[in-house]
Amino acid sequence: MQMNSKKRFITIQNILGMLPYLFILAMFILHLILPAKTFSKEEKRYLAQWPVFHMEDVLDGIYGTKVETYFSDQFPFRNFWIHIQKSSVPLNIYKDTGDPKYRSEIWIPVE
Amino acid sequence: MVFSSLFFTFAFLPVTIILYYSLGKNLRNIVLLIASLFFYAWGEPVYVLLMCGSIIINYCIGILLGRDDIIRGKRKYYLIISLVFNLGCLGYFKYSGMIISTVAPLLPIGISFYTFQTLSYVIDVYRKKIRPQRSLILFALYITMFPQLVAGPIVNYADIESQLSDRIITVKEFHLGMRGFLCGLAKKVLLANNIGMLWSEVKAIPSIEISASMAWAGIIAFAFQIYFDFSGYSDMAIGLGKIFGFRFKGNFLYPYISQSISEFWRRWHISLGSWFKEYVYIPLGGSRVGKGKLIRNLFVVWFLTGLWHGASWNFVLWGLYFGILILIEKLFLHKSMEGLPKVVRHIYSLLFIVIGWVFFEFTTLTDIFGFLQTMFGGGVNIILQVQEIAKLKSYAILYVICTVAALPLPMKLALSFKKVHYNIYELAVKVYYCILIFLLTGYMVNSTYNPFIYFRF
Repeated sequence: MQMNSKKRFITIQNILGMLPYLFILAMFILHLILPAKTFSKEEKRYLAQWPVFHMEDVLDGIYGTKVETYFSDQFPFRNFWIHIQKSSVPLNIYKDTGDPKYRSEIWIPVE
Repeated sequence: MVFSSLFFTFAFLPVTIILYYSLGKNLRNIVLLIASLFFYAWGEPVYVLLMCGSIIINYCIGILLGRDDIIRGKRKYYLIISLVFNLGCLGYFKYSGMIISTVAPLLPIGISFYTFQTLSYVIDVYRKKIRPQRSLILFALYITMFPQLVAGPIVNYADIESQLSDRIITVKEFHLGMRGFLCGLAKKVLLANNIGMLWSEVKAIPSIEISASMAWAGIIAFAFQIYFDFSGYSDMAIGLGKIFGFRFKGNFLYPYISQSISEFWRRWHISLGSWFKEYVYIPLGGSRVGKGKLIRNLFVVWFLTGLWHGASWNFVLWGLYFGILILIEKLFLHKSMEGLPKVVRHIYSLLFIVIGWVFFEFTTLTDIFGFLQTMFGGGVNIILQVQEIAKLKSYAILYVICTVAALPLPMKLALSFKKVHYNIYELAVKVYYCILIFLLTGYMVNSTYNPFIYFRF
């Protein structure tokens, strides 16, 4: 009996340990298989679509930025994640103004 | 591509890990090299050629320097060629605008970091401390490895020489690497970005209009922002390195608990400090010289440390500010400080570190001294205003979280708890990382949430 509960505890631990990796992988796969949306009611705007390939864009580095925007706009269950963020207390001081200065950009010492 | 983007965490990273572990041991270095070149080219498609050129030139110079039949004079000649090329590129792209007051060319990302890595390699081969790397692939991997390519830490070739060709990867190390990455991401996304918003608001107001207390609250917010941003990036880089079997040295060690400015610099951006110590300070004679030479050596190192951070004179001023403080500590304060209570030493260190961030953050002398004046009561408003109190109240919890997170105490408590309740600790850690990845996803998605307010149906 005790052996069984110990085994169960280890199994739960192992599953929990793997969960972050499985989650990342699941989001990636879902991203690939879910159809792209065109419009967001919540944000009242059209969402980015997979960018058309132009060599000039690639050389300018714009193509990468467009792909990243597409990836973010089409992220699976986007509205759910926004809800998770907004309901997270006490870090929820994020003002929802859409101001670009609040966008996530890493600080790197000026090269 | 930045580590804190959805694309990196949910596309680039899983694809790279899957390819790395599924294609077999022999192809791992190739996979990592291609991934690193792709990562760099993503943001710098043209400058990837400059980096490749630098790799080939320094690889050849390394081989030439390592030849047994080479005469002594020629070795020096090859070293000089390498120094001129590497520092020339860095100088041209980073500092030309500053030196000759012209429009500087676009700055290739990571150039400060990969130039210093390359220099450490060439100088160490010249000193016969290491053997030159015969494999171009391994040498290129050392320079381009994506975890530390853009913002460090600066990895000395000697430290990872053996790991490049053969490294042991265990499941435990992989877990630790992933956890390190998530912790770094949390520092960046949850702490640095949020506390940074307060600083953005304070900075946007003319310094004369804010109260002295608000100026202090603002610059302390910036001190937290820069620490969690940069140490978070280093943690992510070190964690990613571990995922692929590399062991990089730590780059930040709770710098805000320092009891002197010298200690602060032994805890802050350790890899840069070590680099300047090994390749500039010690070759100049280090500390074991007369007072005059010591002043010169410290001046050179701190001038360069400041300048390295950015092509602007305020960074030089910031570097020299610390150089002077360290010189004062070395010459006068060192012994008398030992007798002081810990709390006094902490207050002294934090006070000067925080003042130092003013020099780092503002680019003009007018702004720097304007803000310092406000901090010390020279502004129009000395007492906190009503709206400032409201603002600080909304950030109070975040200040507490940031303070606790900048201390080693939580880690110490967790480890002592682990000794007594191992199973509960292990379970709690796993639950913690599950919650963390959920929260991080929410915050990363929200950073791209862009409601179009004026949309008309």
